[in-house]
Amino acid sequence: MKEGELGRLYSHGEIIFKEGEKGDVMYVIQSGKVKISKNSSSGDITMVTLQRGDIFGEMALFDKLPRSASAVAEGDTRILSIDKKKLFSTIWKDPTVVLKVIETMSSTIRRLSKDFAELKKKKQNMLCGTMDLEETCSFILEEARENIVAAENGSIMLLENGQDRLHIKAAFGEQAQEKLKLAVGEGVAGDVVGTGKAELVNEVLTDSRYKIGSLEIGSLMCVPFKYQGKCFGVLNLSSRRGNRFTLDNLKLLNSFSRYAAIALKNVLCMSDLKHATEEVLKHASILDVY
Amino acid sequence: MLSHGGRSKSDFAAYVSKQALADSSPYALEDGSKIAVVGGGPTGSFFSIFALKLAKMIDKELNITIYDPKNFSKDGPAGCNKCAGIISELLVQTLAVEGINLPDSVVWKGINSYQLHTTKGSVSIATPSFENTIAAVYRGGGPKGIIGEHKESFDDFLLGQAVKEGAAHISVKIEGIEYKNGKPVLFSQGGEIEQADLVVGAVGVNSAKTGIFPDMGFGYEEPRTVKAAIAELSFDEEIITEHFGNSVHLFLLPIKSLKFAAMIPKETYVTLCILGHDLNANSVKDFLDYPVVREVLPKSLSYKFRCRCLPKMNVKAPKIPYADRVVMCGDAGSTRLFKDGLGAAYIMGKAAANTAVLHGVSKQDFQEHYYPVYKNIIVDNQFGSYLYFLADLYKNYGLLTRWMLQIVQEEQSDPEDPKRLSSVLWNMFTGNERFKNIFATAVSLPMRFDLWKAFAKTLVRRR
Repeated sequence: MKEGELGRLYSHGEIIFKEGEKGDVMYVIQSGKVKISKNSSSGDITMVTLQRGDIFGEMALFDKLPRSASAVAEGDTRILSIDKKKLFSTIWKDPTVVLKVIETMSSTIRRLSKDFAELKKKKQNMLCGTMDLEETCSFILEEARENIVAAENGSIMLLENGQDRLHIKAAFGEQAQEKLKLAVGEGVAGDVVGTGKAELVNEVLTDSRYKIGSLEIGSLMCVPFKYQGKCFGVLNLSSRRGNRFTLDNLKLLNSFSRYAAIALKNVLCMSDLKHATEEVLKHASILDVY
Repeated sequence: MLSHGGRSKSDFAAYVSKQALADSSPYALEDGSKIAVVGGGPTGSFFSIFALKLAKMIDKELNITIYDPKNFSKDGPAGCNKCAGIISELLVQTLAVEGINLPDSVVWKGINSYQLHTTKGSVSIATPSFENTIAAVYRGGGPKGIIGEHKESFDDFLLGQAVKEGAAHISVKIEGIEYKNGKPVLFSQGGEIEQADLVVGAVGVNSAKTGIFPDMGFGYEEPRTVKAAIAELSFDEEIITEHFGNSVHLFLLPIKSLKFAAMIPKETYVTLCILGHDLNANSVKDFLDYPVVREVLPKSLSYKFRCRCLPKMNVKAPKIPYADRVVMCGDAGSTRLFKDGLGAAYIMGKAAANTAVLHGVSKQDFQEHYYPVYKNIIVDNQFGSYLYFLADLYKNYGLLTRWMLQIVQEEQSDPEDPKRLSSVLWNMFTGNERFKNIFATAVSLPMRFDLWKAFAKTLVRRR
């Protein structure tokens, strides 16, 4: 440590405290970063990364419960510890000392409330069959982009009932502005929905099937949504750059599309059922009138 | 019928009606109220920072102006506030909790232990947390003729924080304050510069400005002071690392005129601070020639004097530190005896800020909400006097000095030991604890069997 440095130095990856430990010290970051993570069945989940001036470990001081998460240094990090007994004695003399701690706790509660609402929405979307088709498509697309393959643009196109044209149901990037409709066999997406085979096109402009629109793209992946051997839509991920995607990317996206297709088919079935019920009720009420 | 916290409903009703009266009082601060802070040292800055923070929380907008002609970034006496420059572990931690983190550029050295030197030997006392938790700082830009500008003055940093919070700093010397229509008016260079709703006297005892407050006629008298001796010595950095490390070196020597002395390392400098009676220009040289000091600082080590001074220290607080729309804080009010002046500046600056923002600025408001904190320090200093008397006994009588060292050495070598005497000494000289609490621990010590065992050992060794 250098001459003018206060606190204790932790090196990268060093554990400051572990989830479940008893805690009687609170911490203030003097320099560097601290990762707060929680253990779960699928591994450690990072809750938040804190930086200089941030306070952490305050909860165990006030609720006397074991540490709710672990704190680990991210790079060389210097931390000042605040002893519980001394802090409480200061609070007793001047309660306004904890205003900043309350502010920290309040912003943590706000962040958690926001995260909780988002998670609840995601969970509802996944479990509840009453959600609409566009929401499901957006959710699938977001999952593909965040967890499968990163891409600049993406869209989901589906064949609508009784029609042989693909319509965009959800999109991100520049593709979000596109109002493209393709017939089966038309363009790369139309071809994929016709053949049912996933395609990787790394030089799009050289592909004769490519239908030039307002969007400039260099490479494209297109995977089908199939159910019981029948193709009912496609998932497109594209980039301005050529040779952006690999064969492994395509395999991963294709596997993902098999599960996504089941979810989409469920929503479509629920939607059909809802329409059918509405029709029956409409007819029943007409009969009632007569 | 009692509600939670043991207070009756009628108590609560009385509190609510009192608060409602306070809000409508002519002495309550309102949006746009003007506060003049005379003195831009730590007390003035702490007052401004906390008054502005608290006012924002309750949606009140205050206009605070800090008047101080001094430029704290200057080296030597011009920018210095003449102090040892130690920020206690408790203050470092409390400020961090409040959101004021001392940057590396302000801290000249992080301190993690105290080395206690006596004629009977030396012993090291480490911080309980084994961290660098004490900050050695310079109040001004550093010793006279300092080379390089890589470090910041603590007072300048704090004043900057107050300005960031919304205070204005005007480099003007206030020469007089008079009441006009019940409100104080500040004068400078013969002219009126501001009429304020509140004037905070945050002037130091070494400042020429204290005289303006006794002249206001509300009964305030300047605090009683004694002289300390401070010197800045410069060394090669390797010598500081080897001989001082990250420790404050504390000397308890059997010299009647000396209470204690401390050497505080700060990069390539060491601040020597001597406290006692009848200190004069020769006190520093006499101290440095003392054999125990020579062991820490052998004659072969070359050092240079950069600057020295004989600053005044507040040892008795004024009886009347407030009036309607005027409050005196920090060194101009009550401060801690012989230590932790910065800790006292924080406590008193904040107590004045809380009173003014939450209650009002009348004499009655300060009597009810500020004076208890002020009085606490005065009462606590009484216990401090007893403790310094005890420390005098231990340093002046060889047998007691040996006994004290024996116990501390045993405590420090045993990780499981509760380290009672070590913590008494640690708290006594670091400002970590109130004198009253240290006194309570100190008087309970002789009841313990192991202390008497150590005493017997000391007697045997002596024979």
